[in-house]
Amino acid sequence: MDPTPLYLEPRLDEPLASLVESAEFLHTLTDALGSPLNILLPDQAAANVERFRAVFRRHSLSGEICLAHKATRSSAVVRRLAATGAGIDVASLGELQHALGAGFTGDRIVATGPKDPDFLWLAARTGAVVHLDGLAELDLLAELVRKHGLPRTRVLPRLSGFASAGVRVRSRRSRFGVPAAGLDRLIDALDRHRDAVDPIGTAYHLDTTSLDEKALAFEGCLVALDALRRRGFAPRAVDIGGGFGTGYLADAAQWERYTTELRRAVLGERQPLTWGGHGYGLRAEGGTLRGALGLYPAHRPLSGPDYLDRLLARTAPGLGRGLGALLLDSLGDLRIAPGRALLDQCGLTLAAVAEVRREDSGDTVVRLAAKADDIGLEDHGVLVDPVVVPRAPAADPAPAAVYLTGSLCLESDLITRRLVHLPRLPRPGDLLAFANTAGYCMDFGATRAQGRPGARKVAVHRDAGRWQWCLDDRYWPIGRTGGTPA
Amino acid sequence: MRYDSITDAIGDTPLVRIAPEVHGLRNIDLYAKLEMLNPFGSVKDRAAWNMARPRIADAQARGATVVELSSGNTAKALAVIAGMHGLRFKSVTNRMRVPEIKDLLLLLGAEIEELPGQTECLDPGLADDPLTAVHRELTAMGDAHLHTDQYFNERNTEAHAAGTGPEIIADLDGRAPDWFVACVGTAGSSTGVARVLRAHDPGVRVVGLVAGKSDFIPGIRDIDEVREVGLFDPAAYDAIDAVSTDDAVEGMVTLMRRCGILAGPTGGAAYTGAVRRLRAVDDTLTERATAVFIVCDRGESYLGYVRRHRPELFGRAAADPNTVASVSAAEAESAAALDPAAAREWIARRRPTVVDLRSPFAFRALHIEGSINIVDEVFGELVRGGLPFGRRQPVLLACPVGEQSARYAALLARMGHEEVYSLAGGIIGWRDAGAPLVAD
Repeated sequence: MDPTPLYLEPRLDEPLASLVESAEFLHTLTDALGSPLNILLPDQAAANVERFRAVFRRHSLSGEICLAHKATRSSAVVRRLAATGAGIDVASLGELQHALGAGFTGDRIVATGPKDPDFLWLAARTGAVVHLDGLAELDLLAELVRKHGLPRTRVLPRLSGFASAGVRVRSRRSRFGVPAAGLDRLIDALDRHRDAVDPIGTAYHLDTTSLDEKALAFEGCLVALDALRRRGFAPRAVDIGGGFGTGYLADAAQWERYTTELRRAVLGERQPLTWGGHGYGLRAEGGTLRGALGLYPAHRPLSGPDYLDRLLARTAPGLGRGLGALLLDSLGDLRIAPGRALLDQCGLTLAAVAEVRREDSGDTVVRLAAKADDIGLEDHGVLVDPVVVPRAPAADPAPAAVYLTGSLCLESDLITRRLVHLPRLPRPGDLLAFANTAGYCMDFGATRAQGRPGARKVAVHRDAGRWQWCLDDRYWPIGRTGGTPA
Repeated sequence: MRYDSITDAIGDTPLVRIAPEVHGLRNIDLYAKLEMLNPFGSVKDRAAWNMARPRIADAQARGATVVELSSGNTAKALAVIAGMHGLRFKSVTNRMRVPEIKDLLLLLGAEIEELPGQTECLDPGLADDPLTAVHRELTAMGDAHLHTDQYFNERNTEAHAAGTGPEIIADLDGRAPDWFVACVGTAGSSTGVARVLRAHDPGVRVVGLVAGKSDFIPGIRDIDEVREVGLFDPAAYDAIDAVSTDDAVEGMVTLMRRCGILAGPTGGAAYTGAVRRLRAVDDTLTERATAVFIVCDRGESYLGYVRRHRPELFGRAAADPNTVASVSAAEAESAAALDPAAAREWIARRRPTVVDLRSPFAFRALHIEGSINIVDEVFGELVRGGLPFGRRQPVLLACPVGEQSARYAALLARMGHEEVYSLAGGIIGWRDAGAPLVAD
């Protein structure tokens, strides 16, 4: 084994850091509720809304901060945010019903993604804003509004394929949105359906970390806003969605070192770092690396509210002024819909150690009482070490490098394909805490395969130094964490 | 020297000794190979010309476009070469982060395509590195292109094995230097030169410089990125050192201010990396040794890059008492302001000049009737250079929310303007109060 451990320690802010340290509390919870177990910190989500709001204030902008619901199925988080000034962005009928049931009124809901008539009907009925991804969707919505006597529906047409002057900035093909080149046809259609829909602004959907691409799209939305205004509409908002990102790792140097060593391993220059020599998308061809590293950039110098701040300060490529200033000049509101970034530091996933086995190959394999799909980090390309939460203090903890496997009767059920370095070898009965899973990495892809139960969810908060908890679906944001008031 | 074509002026660059009092090495003579003096401005002129030359006639016959994955100097050289031969040139890149270079390429007639950034949500369908993606796309383009393929093309290395390397030996009176230090981008120059020097004297030590992973130095790859380069062979180097952005700028400043060499950041990084490596061995030497590093290109295109990292190098603007930045929060708060209703009444009565400080784009869309548009940055300049109205002229300043206008109103009052108001709540407040706005 390589003598220097390749740690990827999680970034833990308060109160998540204290929660991970609360071994007795966490063991009590898993003893009662089983492994795996998801823990949520709803108050942290509210604090994150405030951090984004501060960026709005810095740019003198008003507008909406919406949670991208798809990032979590937690009722506690959604209900907690319903008690703030935030909105919510729902991508299905089920999410819309959940948001309404959690206390969001229609005016604070945005319906997005592929939409069926039933989804559109309920959205329009309850007064939600509807993202429009195409002319057909617009026709369908207008027809529903007229046929069923629904209120005139506020819409945000989503645009894509923005043209740039000089340098051609390519963006990945998006499944969502109307090509910006077809803006006139879109406005014609909105004009035809003026009685049924009210375009309150424009939007884009871009899956990229590139500020340049976003700046181009942002500017394209401002130009489209102006075009709508010229045709007699009164649009107010630009919706830039999310994609601000989260930093999962505490230490940039660890991430840099790990990714370099991974490349060396793929090139065969060091011992493998992964199960079966998996390359996370990289491969060696004649001594040269090919392929793309299919990993989330887990250490990000710029993420969340800071990323938004930088985007707003960015100069628009054509109009030559800061994007935030341009939006403000245009008397526009900003709408954002972060998922991951709004759920940063909002939860963790616990899994109990079922077995620790030393194999003949020399590898140590730690089997967890959880399936790989219960811990979505790997599926989303996020590499981060779990924290060992010991059942009892060890006399002499020894560092270890282990593979983490799941509980399914299936070869591929690996919690992660990489060799995980830990400061202490886990023992059966210990817990592994996977931090910062609340956004996308908790229940996004969890299954009940092989009759294994899904993880229970609990919401916690700290009150006078003591952790209080309740089941996620018993949580309501009325000053106590579920249960009976003390 | 008379040439028939500018391409004949490629190569034969000077080797210039760096004064010992600059680098402080006692036993080593350090020389800079000034590749920046190639006609299109960089070391890449050699590779670009060597890669393109044998295929130009054929490309002309086919009407092919020259294509390269380049963010800078190779693109620049190829753009010139393509233009000279009546060919189109397209640069595809995901690394073009120096705006001046972008503009220069556009001026040279290049077409630039920027590849999309990394996805925020992991998409396993996106399995290709940029190089592979471009290769695949070019295959789809058929034979309408001439892809110079600098990261894999052996003629890149060869340009330096035939030119740069032998020139260094010739200028050192037939001896190879004891050390050769070069930044690694395509690995063409470092590998090509190293090959020749080693063949001449197996004892030469070759140091490759790569960027630290969190640093961006134009033209240098980081330790991971070089592994995607076909020409890169770790065995070609005795050592690979990392250099930082600070190293690059520091070296650039030393070369510029003390050696008269107007190098860019890559040359600066090579200087700093070379001196650091050599300082460690200087005291152990018993006889004189020589070392050579490459100055890849010139500094003029990187002023923005340097300013971002070291703004203090550009000095500070002379203190001007009348800037909007000098207005305190308290001053701004106590500036004379009118709410929309009062402003409407005052406009009707006094007919002031209404100055809208927003961008022309927003002004065209909606503004107060009769107002004039001077965007805040320009207004700030006018405050210093001379305003287009006198001190007794009544003025109403308007911005989106009334913050910027309050600062300017305070500033103008301080400068003796008698009747200046800020529109409280700005144009947004005006709109929300139901006051009329007009479009152009």
